[in-house]
Amino acid sequence: MQIEKFALKATIEKNQDMVYFSQLDLVSILIRALKRAELPLYYTQGFRPHVKLSFGKALKVGAAGLEEVTFYFTQKTLPRELCEKLSPQMPRGLTIVEIK
Amino acid sequence: MIDFNQVKKPQRYIGNEWNVIKKSHHGKIPICVSYPDLYEVGMSNLGLRIIYGLLNDFEDVACERVFLPGEDLAANLSANNLKLFSLETKTALDEFEAVGFNLSCEINFLNFLRILRLGAIPIKASERKEKIVFAGGIANPEPIAEFVDFFYLGEFEEGATKFVEIFRKYKSKKERLCALSEIDGFYVPSFYDVSIYKNKYQFDKLYKYAQFPLKRVYVKDLDKSYYPLNWLTPHTQIIHDRAPIEIARGCPNACVFCQARAIYYPYREKKISTICDIAKNIYKNSGYENLSLLSLSASDYSNIEGLLDALIAEFKDKCVGLSLPSLRIDGTLAELYRKLLYLRKTSLTVALETASDSLRSKLGKKLDVNRLFEAAKIIKSLNLRTIKLYLMIGFPEETDEDLLLIGAFLERLRRETGLSINVSINIFVPKPFSIWENVWMPEEEILEKKIKLVLSCIPKRYNINLTVPQAKRSILEAILSRADRNFSAVIFDVFNASPGYETGNNWQAWHDAMHKNGINYKTYLQNGNKNFPWSFIDNSQIPGCKNCRED
Repeated sequence: MQIEKFALKATIEKNQDMVYFSQLDLVSILIRALKRAELPLYYTQGFRPHVKLSFGKALKVGAAGLEEVTFYFTQKTLPRELCEKLSPQMPRGLTIVEIK
Repeated sequence: MIDFNQVKKPQRYIGNEWNVIKKSHHGKIPICVSYPDLYEVGMSNLGLRIIYGLLNDFEDVACERVFLPGEDLAANLSANNLKLFSLETKTALDEFEAVGFNLSCEINFLNFLRILRLGAIPIKASERKEKIVFAGGIANPEPIAEFVDFFYLGEFEEGATKFVEIFRKYKSKKERLCALSEIDGFYVPSFYDVSIYKNKYQFDKLYKYAQFPLKRVYVKDLDKSYYPLNWLTPHTQIIHDRAPIEIARGCPNACVFCQARAIYYPYREKKISTICDIAKNIYKNSGYENLSLLSLSASDYSNIEGLLDALIAEFKDKCVGLSLPSLRIDGTLAELYRKLLYLRKTSLTVALETASDSLRSKLGKKLDVNRLFEAAKIIKSLNLRTIKLYLMIGFPEETDEDLLLIGAFLERLRRETGLSINVSINIFVPKPFSIWENVWMPEEEILEKKIKLVLSCIPKRYNINLTVPQAKRSILEAILSRADRNFSAVIFDVFNASPGYETGNNWQAWHDAMHKNGINYKTYLQNGNKNFPWSFIDNSQIPGCKNCRED
């Protein structure tokens, strides 16, 4: 059975201490933040399900800037709701700038 | 300050993990704790996390962490005359009142000294005026007696309150050490004079109220004991990238070679409801995608199936992996794995120790190989890909035939399960306090022969993944774990002779230092009597001790 998924695209600013963390680190940082926020996460449907995320262009380690990340949920989630729940779970140096 | 863009893996040094505790040092006792290895290894150690959380629970203690820096940062610090710093507040190590080390293996002795030197703390206890350096973890503290002000014997949960009370009450090092030495579990090496009289180690107290003999301290009620729930979650990958949930401590079995069992008796379990609460809280506070149920022998947990059912009910919709690293092979094996597979694919690990049934029974290891093959069909249906085996060689009474059985066993295992096989072979080391602590270790040439023999019988056509031991490394491990106080001088010389990190395994450096200090290491390895450098620690009153000794 195909589960419906709802996507939200976020722009996240990476600065301060977080500039030292790589794109690979960022994946698990965001997944853990999403899980702590108890959001209705969409999991890939394969042999080994995992949280689905898609990223825009990666920043180089050491550089501050903006990252684009798309989150997927199993229920319709409003941008404001995502921002309210996820922001307190983000480490210092990762700030949600915009969600649409 | 360091430019973190100039060092490899700067993530190690930032100290901004989720749930990190940063306190101002004002009006507090600043203590730094360390696991003397790289960040990725040290952060995987449960003991250090318990101590870190436990000490920070005291409002007037500020506990921070330090690990061994990468070689590049170490060189950078030395070149710029900078001191190694704590992760939380980047405070130089020598500004803490006390620095504590979790030395869970002897190979880390040099790293322990490296951290002190990089932190500008004098290496020898006698050269430190007020700073207190303490350690715990290893069974026999004597080889590092010259470097520590006190050594904690046992489980720190039980001694933490008294430790903090003494640090509050007394401010000078002398008063602190005196007060500590009067309590069970706190061993102050400088308060005892050690001599050898008629081939026996003799301890004479230099401070009359110091405890003697010393006793290991253990947690009486594990179910109610402290566990870190605000799980410190790294933002970068560590070696064991999962949150361990301790389900039991100690082991009800009595394998003769096992030191872990001998350090952690009596066997204690947590209740299912307690374990579930801990797991729920850790998941909620960390978001960790993998939890690992920790104990020396998970199959011995009295209701392991009930525990797994409860955890699976909690986590099945959350995509959380559960692993059970220490299962014994018996009738329930397949059923347990089926439950785990429900959550996520796992691999199967079997500590077989030896392929010879008769030798295995002499080792006190309760494991029936036939059960493994009976379960082979079920194992096949589980979708596992690999099986990992632990084997040990170098036991007394071990024959060439015993060793050659390994080849036939691997052949049969591969044929009947079709799994790919990883084998890790280790050399038996007679560790202090294990039942076989008084067994002699074979000479290097004999060990080398044994290794060659095993390698010759491994079936070539299956591409078996082998980890082969080095005889010299195991002998060094044995020396470091069994030595007496005189060995501190050897460790000190090797440390001073080795600027890089690689020398821990450099036999020549150890050989030269032993020669210079007039030490014949064979006396440590061929001790046939019942008196050892660690005999001043008397655990005979601890429940569970009696059934693990022959006498």
